[in-house]
Amino acid sequence: MKGVIRDKKAFLVFLLPCLLFYLFSVFYPIEESIRLSFMKWGGLGAKKFVGFQNYIKLFQDKVFYTAFFNNLIYLAIVVCMQVLIGLLFAVLLTYIRRGATLIKTLYYVPCIITTVAVTQMFRSMYAVQPEGIINQVLKAFGLGRFATSWLTNTKTVLACVSIPEGWRYSGLYMVIFYAALISVDPEICEAARVDGANAWQTLFRVKIPMIKEVLLLVLTMALTGALRGFDIPYILTNGGPGNVSELMSTYMYKKAFGSNQFGYGSAIAVFIIVESMLVVAILNRIFTSKDEIEEKKSLRRTRRSKARS
Amino acid sequence: MKMKKKVSIIFWILIILFLAIQIYPVIWLFMASVKPSTELAVAPFALPKKATFDNYLSIFREGSIFRYMLNSLKITVISVLLIVFLSSTAGFALSKFKFRAAHPIYRFFTFGIMIPVQITLIPLFCFYSKMHLLNSAFSLILPQVGFALPLSVMMFYSFYDFVPNELIEAAIMDGCSTYKMFTSIVFPLAKNTVITVASMQSIFIWNDFIFGNTFISDNKAKTVALGLRDYVGAFGNVNWGMTFAAIAVTILPPMILYFALNKYVTAGMTLGSVKG
Repeated sequence: MKGVIRDKKAFLVFLLPCLLFYLFSVFYPIEESIRLSFMKWGGLGAKKFVGFQNYIKLFQDKVFYTAFFNNLIYLAIVVCMQVLIGLLFAVLLTYIRRGATLIKTLYYVPCIITTVAVTQMFRSMYAVQPEGIINQVLKAFGLGRFATSWLTNTKTVLACVSIPEGWRYSGLYMVIFYAALISVDPEICEAARVDGANAWQTLFRVKIPMIKEVLLLVLTMALTGALRGFDIPYILTNGGPGNVSELMSTYMYKKAFGSNQFGYGSAIAVFIIVESMLVVAILNRIFTSKDEIEEKKSLRRTRRSKARS
Repeated sequence: MKMKKKVSIIFWILIILFLAIQIYPVIWLFMASVKPSTELAVAPFALPKKATFDNYLSIFREGSIFRYMLNSLKITVISVLLIVFLSSTAGFALSKFKFRAAHPIYRFFTFGIMIPVQITLIPLFCFYSKMHLLNSAFSLILPQVGFALPLSVMMFYSFYDFVPNELIEAAIMDGCSTYKMFTSIVFPLAKNTVITVASMQSIFIWNDFIFGNTFISDNKAKTVALGLRDYVGAFGNVNWGMTFAAIAVTILPPMILYFALNKYVTAGMTLGSVKG
């Protein structure tokens, strides 16, 4: 209650349009998804209530497990690329004096390009006919035996649909890390240096712990982003060949809009949302140290006793 | 000192290397779009020997690209206006009114950031087909605005926190109505936040693929991201030259917006996240 205006009618006038729009466009569909996940429905005719049958089917579906484990590999590649490259590049940038702004601006460019364009660029890089740049470079370095048809080779396809996503957003995380790193008080780093810390120690023991909050946030964004990964794998291979590069969201899409199993598709969608929320909860747990939990508890206690009195 | 210089050179080399990997595909795209198709087939990655604008001419002559861009423009403009209107007012209500409900409602909005958009596809698709709204601009605007609200409300909310309560109190003392206060004092102050939210969201919405792909099937209603797949057959017969030219044309508007307002776009991303 930090505001000062007490006009109740005006409060509602300002708040309600947005709140209602939000409820209708985001929460009504969620409620519908959950409801549909207990139904069997082919898009036409009556919906039939089937209880947990869709979920039971889900946990017996081999393709679903493939999609789930593929999604974990996708997640590992994408998050490593985004967070590690983003952090590394941001750290490098903090050590140069001139040109950082220009470099940052250029580095960010892939983030503003539509995924369809990104996908088409990578498709032609992976291509065999006409020969894509990856095979050309391999051949130029005498590594022609590694050249392959990247998107149809079952060993390489999953990595190939993951890399564009990692490449595309590393700039976004770099910008966030950079902003956090330069806002670390230089006096603290100076004090660490006076105390005899070398550059590595200053970085890993002082600077990175200082941006813990941002790291948590970036990890949350990157992980939930990767769990819902869809565009690039869908356009590039649509899960193929077979189901080798299937992800959970592409599988959901296929089930719902490819074979009209709207109930089953909804069950997969609900699984994705539950999983995202779990990841966020676990991350918050890991990053909240014991002291902070205690602090929060005592804060809540004082607040409650204040409310009582 | 010598050591320091060496390290700095290594850093520069690394930076340039990373930057090259990051923007090479984009530069290559523009290069490929001005190559004649014969050259594109033989040496797709070499510098173009002779620049030609044939690819551009053929997509302009074919003409559908203008329709796609117009559709995207319409959806982007309406969505952004709605986003700014809804989130600037709600942010004001949540930040400057003295009601117990304000904080829980704010938490409710921020919760939306982690909801994956895929969850809405099936229900919205069913809803639209029942209401005969598939292929309409509305079908895209509704989810676009809804999913933009959490971040935008958060950004306006954190901006209004900087507006001193004394200013609001003084306006109340002077007999200024709450609505007048918003339109003539508070909203004009939020100019930077408006630009940040608008520029960031326009880029997102212009680039959208998943909503368009689900709700639009009619050629007349296609947006840019969907139209780009037109020049690409299922397999094989892809007209790469035309595809690259079309991509180059359609990524220009967000590029221009980004380079013109780059401070706001990146500030929006970082502010939105650091505040989290």
